Amino acid sequence: MLSLKMLLRTWRGGELGLILWALVLAVAVVTSVSLLAERIELALTNESSSFLASDLVVQSSKVTNPDWLLEAKNKKVATAQMLSFSSMVFKGEDMHLASIKAVEPSYPLRGFIKRSTSAFTSDLSLIEEVDYGPPQGEVWVNARLLPLLNIQLGDEIELGDTSLRVSQILVEEPDSGGSYSFFGARVLMSYADIPSAGIIQPGSRVTYRYLMAAGAGAEDQFDEYVAWLKPQLDIHDRLITPDQAQASIADTMDKGRRFLLLAGSIGVVLAGIALALASHHFASGQTKQVALLKSWGISAHRVRSMYFQQSIWMGLGGSLVGLAVGFLFHLLLLFIVREWLPIELPAAGIRPWITGLATGLLCLAGFTLPALWHLPAQSPLAVLRQDVVVKPLNSLVRVIFGVGAIAGLLLWYSNNLYLSLAILAGFGLTAFFSILVGLFLLRLGKQYGQRLGSIWRLALANLWRRKVQSLIQMVGFSGAIALLMIMVVVRTSLIDEWRFQLAEDAPNHFLVNVASYELDGVKQLVNDQELDTSGWYSMVRGRMTAINGILITEAQKDSHESFRRELNLSWTAELPEGNKVTQGEWWDSSAVRNLATTEDPEGQIIAPLSIEDELAGELGLTVGDRLTFSVGGLTFEAQVTSARSLNWDNMTPNFYFLFPEGLLEDYPRTSMTSLYIPPQKKLLVNDLLRHYPTVQVIELDKIIERIRTIVSQVTRGLEVMTLLILGCGVLVMFSAVSLSMSERLQESAILRTLGSSRRVILGIQLIEFTALGVMAGLLASAGAELSVAMLQRFMFDLPFSMHPWLWYAGPSMGGLLVGSLGVGYSRKAVIQPPLEVLRSL
Amino acid sequence: MIEVRNISKQVSTTEGTLRILDGINVSVGDGETIAIIGPSGSGKSTLLGILAGLDLPSSGTVALNGKDITAMDEEGRAAVRAKDVGFVFQSFHLLPGLTALENVALPLELKGDSKAMETAHYYLERVGLDHRTTHYPRQLSGGEQQRVAVARAFACRPTILFADEPTGNLDTGTGEIINDLLFDLNREEGTTLVLVTHEMNLATRCNRTLQLQAGRQVEATTENTQEMVP
Repeated sequence: MLSLKMLLRTWRGGELGLILWALVLAVAVVTSVSLLAERIELALTNESSSFLASDLVVQSSKVTNPDWLLEAKNKKVATAQMLSFSSMVFKGEDMHLASIKAVEPSYPLRGFIKRSTSAFTSDLSLIEEVDYGPPQGEVWVNARLLPLLNIQLGDEIELGDTSLRVSQILVEEPDSGGSYSFFGARVLMSYADIPSAGIIQPGSRVTYRYLMAAGAGAEDQFDEYVAWLKPQLDIHDRLITPDQAQASIADTMDKGRRFLLLAGSIGVVLAGIALALASHHFASGQTKQVALLKSWGISAHRVRSMYFQQSIWMGLGGSLVGLAVGFLFHLLLLFIVREWLPIELPAAGIRPWITGLATGLLCLAGFTLPALWHLPAQSPLAVLRQDVVVKPLNSLVRVIFGVGAIAGLLLWYSNNLYLSLAILAGFGLTAFFSILVGLFLLRLGKQYGQRLGSIWRLALANLWRRKVQSLIQMVGFSGAIALLMIMVVVRTSLIDEWRFQLAEDAPNHFLVNVASYELDGVKQLVNDQELDTSGWYSMVRGRMTAINGILITEAQKDSHESFRRELNLSWTAELPEGNKVTQGEWWDSSAVRNLATTEDPEGQIIAPLSIEDELAGELGLTVGDRLTFSVGGLTFEAQVTSARSLNWDNMTPNFYFLFPEGLLEDYPRTSMTSLYIPPQKKLLVNDLLRHYPTVQVIELDKIIERIRTIVSQVTRGLEVMTLLILGCGVLVMFSAVSLSMSERLQESAILRTLGSSRRVILGIQLIEFTALGVMAGLLASAGAELSVAMLQRFMFDLPFSMHPWLWYAGPSMGGLLVGSLGVGYSRKAVIQPPLEVLRSL
Repeated sequence: MIEVRNISKQVSTTEGTLRILDGINVSVGDGETIAIIGPSGSGKSTLLGILAGLDLPSSGTVALNGKDITAMDEEGRAAVRAKDVGFVFQSFHLLPGLTALENVALPLELKGDSKAMETAHYYLERVGLDHRTTHYPRQLSGGEQQRVAVARAFACRPTILFADEPTGNLDTGTGEIINDLLFDLNREEGTTLVLVTHEMNLATRCNRTLQLQAGRQVEATTENTQEMVP
């Protein structure tokens, strides 16, 4: 326990402060980020489940197999059956093609149904959340059905052979975002009323959904059940996971998670650098003590063992404090983003704590132990002679240890090789060039300084004289500045990318199937309400009838709805914004004219076609395949020339099948658009549908509201993380500044003794540190630009762009921060009497 | 006792071999006091380092209490130092993060002495600092710091005490107080004292004086002319 006692005394003496701070911060950053990430991750999984109203869904064209239900009961898996279809609902003379959804009472298994007894209300006190569907004999309907059928709550409507009482207004269903197939007003009914309605006949176009969720504490049994179920699915069944259910936010969430990861990793690296610098500083302060201990006859072996034990104590103590601080910090982060968190976050598991503790111990092993390694070899003779100095462990070995620890941590933490390599490469290159260019800059400074005033000459010559120390500091500063700039750039470009989703007026409704003769009228109606559309897109409805000359088989029709229903075919000259060609080549306008006139041997025109890549995969289509389409009884051939990925984030119309201009214009076409309809103008939808009953309106306002909530939540999280990492950066700078401080204070005290003014002494320090900061900033700009390019390319899938601001922000931020930190630190030299300064060193 | 036989020390420099000590012979009996004097660069501190087992001669032998420390490895010499040797340094070498009491107690604690604190307190009392036990080095004057260092050295009950310019950093008045303390304690504890100093008045308080000039022994005198070493 003597080693612990000695450690506590050293801490009390203030020598451990920096190391402990760096350690605590490293552990705290990693712990808080891990805790936050894990809890948000868990919450998002739950949230995703609510998008699906369950944990997993089997969508099928046939009724759920009774064996599945039986086995589910055995495995304590919660289930609900659901059936959706379009059907006319009537009230007297009025009728509407409604989107019917019939659910069992257990629906929803996850999330809640929001219902109200007031139509078109947004008053939360009037909206009730329930976790069950309508009882037998009742329906809950979208508010807009009331004016469409001229009914009130309590009235009965007819559906098939039965009458059902409208008992509630359906405000929101958890899984409303999942299906775009039905465009009419929603009618939610009981599954038990289906037989009496008599509307489901063999061949009816209905979709069955079998919802499943793990029972409380029975997650393992759920996994077993899913494993049992999967082999029994056939081509009629499609398994839908929460991620697939919310494609539009999955990407945001994924990038958000990656950013948290990046932030945490950068935090780890920064804290690592701080720890390395602090350890170096600490070790140089310990050489005298070790010489003294050895003069008393303490053996090298015992000295090593003492420092090893002290490091372990320090690692455990620092890590425990770090875990506690990390926990508090994550609570603070949660407090800051509480308004954006719609749900109670689930508790985190053990992993974040282990990650935090491992960070502390590994950082210590990678940075502190190598820095202390040489101490036992210190000669006891150093108590008599100051020139007897033991050589620290070879810098290359220390770098290998440090980089090894960082790489290990990054990999363990991020589980992402690209990210780890990008950060390491960015930092490694910055460090390498810092040394090369740094030496050049220092030399330049010294030479140029000769021509400047005496303070400049002295300061720049000092930097050159202490070049090893200056270079170490420069590496530390430039690393910290580069990493901070990487954070800011990535954060900014992500938020820029999401701005569209965060925009208040992002389109939240799609108007589809507007016939040519209706187009002017619909446009007029939209204009009357002073609403803007994202532009009108034309499309033609057609069926795919053959692939490479072979007719679509019944089996294919069963396997995918795109083989059996009419497809939306559209045309464009340019690749739409947000689309990316993943296979083949996009046509250029001149080539299109040739392609469009290409004729097959029978004299038929073969149209080039671009298809969405996921759909192409599902349909088994590749570039070069020839498809036959039937549009209004006329057939034409097309050849797949490219596959595209779509951007689902921007809420503008996306098309699975795109042709060049000049091919489809003559077929009967309809138009579509997307637009923002504010809540107070929501009744426009009814006006539209009343005047133009064939127009289909896809209402995305509810789901967009949820997306916006989540995106703004993630954005706020990024801001907070950025601040935390900035704190780490400042700590690194502080450690680096303190590295040379005792020597500087000594020199300043001597200058002071010789009568130098406060202005001269602070001036020298200001110039030295500012010059160091500016040089480091310049190097950091180069390192950051490189790393950002790699990260954008490989991790965030963002387009490459140069960042001119980095090149002036780096040097100016470096000069300002390092200069003020250095001068702040050096003030002691001019405030305290020189003798006191010298004695305290 | 200390037996030094024909030790020399040379180091290689860029300008060839530099002879720092050459053919030193000296024998110091138990409880004796000896001053090593000479101008700067004459090899005083090097000799002290070799005598205390902190450094090795290029040739010759040193025996402390009958044990040839030049034949031992560093671990062996460390064991001898731990058992028999104490130090007082010119620059005090107090640990800044430790109080006066803790500074004195530390070497005892390292030896596993369960009564380290009591012993430390006793010796601080003997150097007249029992009222400053909780003070840190920075809160003590130079003289007080050296008194703490003296207390620390004697608290370990060494048989041989090496003092390297113990008053070199102190003014004359304070230096006198330290010297009195050193000699008084030395007498009371029966310690052998080897002292490196510039000050003749301090050297004359020792039983004998060993004068060095450019690494060579000029003469060995004793105030009482007990022994002559050629």
